[in-house]
Parts: sequence; structure tokens; C-alpha cells
Amino acid sequence: MKRITIDPITRLEGHGKITIFLKDDGSVANVYFQVPELRGFEKFSEGRAAEDMPQITQRICGVCPEAHHMASTKALDELFHVEPTSAAKKLRELLYSAFYVTDHTTHFYILAAPDFVMGPDAPPAERNILGVIGKVGLELGGAVINTRKQNHWVIQTIGGRPIHPCFGLPGGVSRAINEEERVQIEEIAKQSVEFAKLSLKVFDDIVLKNKEYLDMVLSDTFTQKSYNMGLVDDNNKVNFYDGKVRVVGPDGKELCKYAPREYLEHIAERVEPWTYLKFPYLKKVGWKGFVDGNDSGVYRATPLSRLNAADGMATPLAQEEYDKMYTTLGGKPANFTLATHWARLIELLYAAERMVELVQDPEITSTDIRNIPKAKPDEGIGIVEAPRGTLTHHYITDERGVIKKCNLIVGTTNNYAALYMSIKKAAEDFIKPGVKITEGLLNRIEMAWRPYDPCLSCATHALPGQLPLEVTIYDDRGNEVKKLSQGI
Amino acid sequence: MKILVLGIGNPILSDDGVGIKVAQEVGTKLNDPQVTVSETSAAGLSLLDSIIDYDKVIIIDAIQTEEGKAGQIYRMKPGNFSFAKHISSPHQINLVTALELGKMLNLNMPQEISIFAVEAKDTTSFSEGCTPEVEQAIPEAVKMVLDELVG
Repeated sequence: MKRITIDPITRLEGHGKITIFLKDDGSVANVYFQVPELRGFEKFSEGRAAEDMPQITQRICGVCPEAHHMASTKALDELFHVEPTSAAKKLRELLYSAFYVTDHTTHFYILAAPDFVMGPDAPPAERNILGVIGKVGLELGGAVINTRKQNHWVIQTIGGRPIHPCFGLPGGVSRAINEEERVQIEEIAKQSVEFAKLSLKVFDDIVLKNKEYLDMVLSDTFTQKSYNMGLVDDNNKVNFYDGKVRVVGPDGKELCKYAPREYLEHIAERVEPWTYLKFPYLKKVGWKGFVDGNDSGVYRATPLSRLNAADGMATPLAQEEYDKMYTTLGGKPANFTLATHWARLIELLYAAERMVELVQDPEITSTDIRNIPKAKPDEGIGIVEAPRGTLTHHYITDERGVIKKCNLIVGTTNNYAALYMSIKKAAEDFIKPGVKITEGLLNRIEMAWRPYDPCLSCATHALPGQLPLEVTIYDDRGNEVKKLSQGI
Repeated sequence: MKILVLGIGNPILSDDGVGIKVAQEVGTKLNDPQVTVSETSAAGLSLLDSIIDYDKVIIIDAIQTEEGKAGQIYRMKPGNFSFAKHISSPHQINLVTALELGKMLNLNMPQEISIFAVEAKDTTSFSEGCTPEVEQAIPEAVKMVLDELVG
């Protein structure tokens, strides 16, 4: 009998590894999921000026720099005990909403759409954005590119620099916008609303009107009854930029609602010997293992979780779509992982509507954009909703504002346990005794994790700029039965 | 003729920043109004945004291959990538797919794209500096890019 060691110390060579062990009857005994982890950020931050953190942390990830920038800026507000001006908050949220439009657009059309538009069993060479545009048309493809391009311009205009804003300051922001810029942003915001509506129509035509897909969305394989986390405003409506963290159970009941500075009272981390990843869980419920249900502290922080954790959307068109989604899915909360793609589109619409609201606010061109801090810094915690989940930045400094300690919980980290469980379930459901293991398995596993749009360290942009993934399957004697890989 | 030299990378993730370092060096040695030297930490679709409207683009980035030795430098064309146009990145599409997409949508794509990739050792530790093997490769990579511009 061969011993297979799942050793987190082995260099993972920049790719994700899923290892599946089979029982003697050919069904799944166990599944392990490992990814290389980015290391040493705490040490890297020590000794740096806290005001530099919005610039530094936005470099962590090439995909969501604006999220880190914003969480970091809010941590600085707390750290320096200064309240941003009203106009500054609106400018921050306007930039952030434009970022959401670009990010959610990208995710849906690049990552979600191919499975649905081309079909989950289409060959890999066709199951991508090229196939999608081939089917839905060049005009829509052009609209995707254009929406991103225009909103990137908005981010650059408000934030001062493309992709990596030089914008957030403790107590405010670095620049105001003028009327000319405001008019252009308003035009782009309105077009973005139309684009979001169109995207929801595409989803309706292709997914919801297709019984096979709807069945897949509602299937048990892709169902998980975990707790839901998201930021909500004073009316318990979804807000990406600010508010309190609310956690709602799979039974729909509120577990807790807390201010960012209280996060450590509610979240703890579980360590497992087979991976460097730590698994956050809800302290109040406790760690019961990789299981779902009301008694397990596993939670999710995804677009669907945000909609589950809130009482509604703060803008009218998004609220209509929210109601429609829950009616279709049979009520709140919705525990269907694939519905995350739908929730993402509803958030896209909300982000665009919110942009229109903010850019039409008379205060948006105000030049009163900063309150200068007066107090000595000590500790600050900032939380925003990153597209991939609740993002927490926590800094402890000396009285000069030099970082002594720094802790980040990035969006995907919240979802590690749930993500692992989704992958495990997909593997268990698609590997059956006597059934041949095919490349299709790889795609079913991918379908289980794509809704999370995970921000794992292997998503760096070292060429070829993709997430290489290797799935190795061992029989009950420890012999390698099959190895599937992509991008390696 | 509009030429772009684009360094891609993450400047705080050790060797992942080599592309940017090379591009910055190239920028100090050039004085040609036809050539723009730029850097980006974007990937996939955002990369597409950066390269449109140029006639020729030289991309410099880090790479990790199965057999490669840290510090090795490869000169490649987009056609060199043997993988299919499949989604493998959880976030973005890869360079090849991005280029195909640009053509499909009739965007003003460059006629010529060259890629210089430096084999990286460490892309998962936070650091503003590269590992010694990769650091030593920078002057050579700079020279290769400058030769490409002249040739």
C-alpha cells in the first residue's frame, strides 16, 4: 500500500493542486485542495508609513487594486481618528462603484458566461470569451470592452492614475472633480446601467429560459447551506463601500451585525495540517469541520452571500431584479452556489445605478475633500466589500504612524472553507464507481469554484498568466489512477 | 511607427516584478519619440487596453516553466504558447485569448508583438527586490529589448 503524503511544504510550482483519493469501489474517499500562498506581507509592511499602505496594498493583486486601496484608506481614517468629509465619502464610493462595474463585467463575460453560453461539456477550446462572443454577437462583445474602458477612465479621472489610484488619504481624498468631468462620468454611468440591464437579459435568455441550466443551478451538487456575510448600510441594504458587517444563517436568521473594529470578536481562523491556508469561521457558531448547516461556523462572502445577508438593494432596478431572483429560486436565503453568477449581475446593475445617484449629487464636485487628522495614530481597521468578498485591513502603528503589525483578510480568504467544500462535493458527485473519469470532470470542478472568482496567489501574471491546475486521483492502494491538468 | 515597450509585473512580489524593472531600465537608455516605455500590473483584458493603437509591442514579463532555470530569458511570439485558448485564470483570460479577442472585435491591434520572458524563481514572497539569479538577468534582458528595437 503506497503512502501518499499531502505535504504543504512541497513547492507547488505556482499551480493549484487537487488530490483525490478513491475507495476500493471507485467512489471518492477524500479530496484535498492546495494552492501556493503569498507569504511575508506582515514582515514586508513593518516599518512602513501607514499613509503609504493604500499605495502598497493595491499592488498585492492586479485584479482588485481599488478594493485594497479603499479598505486601506478606511483603515487610515480609523487609525488617525479622523472622519472623512461628506464629499470625500461620495467620491470614494463613486470611484468604487465604477470599479465594481468593470470587475463584475469582466467576471461574468470571461468566466461565467462560457459555461452557460457554450455549455459545460463544450470542448475547452470553445468554452471561452471567443465562443461567447461568437454566439451572442460582436456588438455585445464590443459593449463589454467599451463598458470596461469607459469605467476605467472614470476610475483614472477620480483616482488620479490608471488602475492604481493615488487617491485615498486619512480623512478624505487627494483630488476633487470638476463639472466637465462630472458630466462625462454621468453619461458613462447611464450607459453602464443600460449595459447591466442588457447583461441581465442575456442571462435570462440563455440560462433562466434553459431548463437544463436552471436544473443545474438548483441541483444538490451545487447547493451549500452556509452562513452569509456582507456589508449593509443603515437600512440593511447592500453597500460595497461602507456600513456594518452582517451575518445571516442558512435558515435566514441574523446571527450578528458588527462594526469593522469588532471583527476579531466574531471571526477566528482554523489551521489544518495539509495546507498553509487558514480557514476563517464564525466564533459564535464554532468550528465543526468542513460541513455546512446552521451548526457549522463555515461562512461565505460572495455576491450571493451579500444579497442573502441584506434585506434588499438600495436602488430601484436592482431591487426589482433581486425580487425576481429570489422568487425564481424559492425564497431567501438562496443556497445555490451557481446563482452567485446571477447575484453578480444584480450587483452590477446596483453599482451602475449607484454611480448615477452619486454623480448627480450636488456635493460631488465640492472641493471640501479632506479633514486633516489631529490625533495620534494607534490602531485602525477598515472593511469594504471586495468583489470577491469582505475585505479587512487592520493596522497597528506606533505614535508616528509607522506600521508595527498588519493583518489582512482578503475577499477569497473568507471563502476558503466553502470553496474547498464545493470542490469536494463536485468531485464526489462526478466520480462514481464504474464511470470513466474524463476531462469533463475537470470542468465540473472548475464550475464549482468559478462562482467564487477566487483570488488565489497563483493568479499572478507571470506568463502564461493563467491558473494552472492539476488534479491527481489515487486508488485505494495509493496508485495514481489519473492525472488531469490544464495550463501546466 | 508607434512602438510600445511594456513591462508587466507585480513590483512587490519578488521576481514577479522583473518585467517592470527591465522596462524601467530600457526607458533610461532610450531617447526615441516613436517609442513609449510603460509598465502595468494588469493581465488579460486590461492588457488588451494597453496595447491597442500601437504598431509594434514588446512585452517583458516573468515566466515559470517546468524545466526552466531562474534567470533564463526567452524571446517569444504569441504563437509560441502551446496551450489552447482555454480559461485557466480564475480572473482573466490569458494573453493569447486577449489578442484573439482584439482581432475578433476589430480593435486596432499591433501588427507585431514580441515577448521577452525571464524565468522566475520566487513569485510568492513579498519583496521589492528580485532573487539574485533573476536580478543578474536584468542587464541581459535590457540588451535584448534594445537590440529588438534597433533590428
